[in-house]
Amino acid sequence: MNAMVVTYFIYIGISLGLTVWVARTLFKNGRVFLVDVFAGNEQLADSVNQLLVVGFYLINLGYVSLALKVQERVVQTSESIEVLSWKIGMVLLVLGGMHFFNLWLFAKIRSRSFLRRAPPPIKPDTHISTPTA
Amino acid sequence: MNKLTVLYDPTCSMCCRARRWLENQPQYVPLEFVGAGTARARTSYPELDPEETLQSVTVISDEGGVYRGAKAWLICLWALRKYRGWSLTLGSDALLPSARAFVEWVSRHRK
Repeated sequence: MNAMVVTYFIYIGISLGLTVWVARTLFKNGRVFLVDVFAGNEQLADSVNQLLVVGFYLINLGYVSLALKVQERVVQTSESIEVLSWKIGMVLLVLGGMHFFNLWLFAKIRSRSFLRRAPPPIKPDTHISTPTA
Repeated sequence: MNKLTVLYDPTCSMCCRARRWLENQPQYVPLEFVGAGTARARTSYPELDPEETLQSVTVISDEGGVYRGAKAWLICLWALRKYRGWSLTLGSDALLPSARAFVEWVSRHRK
């Protein structure tokens, strides 16, 4: 097994590990937001949470797969470390971007749900007893 | 709250434009428009003074709450999907006096 193949295997191992770790963090902590958004409907919250995590996996693993190819030849260990460092750094940035996108999405869904349930900001000037229309 | 009825001055062009704008916005609470001072308004809301409803826009909720002037505008904004956030901001204690002053100024200068 040459240095190139070893580099590929290390890249795949670290990228998969990182993706699974971030996805699980998102899944575990995003649930609280979603249960609140869906007014305590845990079944719906779990379903949406699962769908978001599937999307997260697809995008990240898609990127990891597309970014696999190493352009230059890797012979020495130092070259392998340099290539890995660049590739893992890119995977981390994509994961970070996706993670913040998900947070933004949760916040947006939550604020929309807050607005939908918000009572009027003002009280009526008067009341009429029996509106007939 | 399931419905809001807006009594507006049908002879005022600005009020008619506002009505058309409100009608075309996506709503959380349906808005119904009735000309102030018309027979329908008088029959439906005998407790309200027709002259007063012609002078300042009046909104009545299906629960019987009556909102006038700036409050009427705020409750209309609150009924709209895109502007509920604005209604909460403008209806806060800090901004309500300014919103009221603005609506009164517009109301005095409308044609």
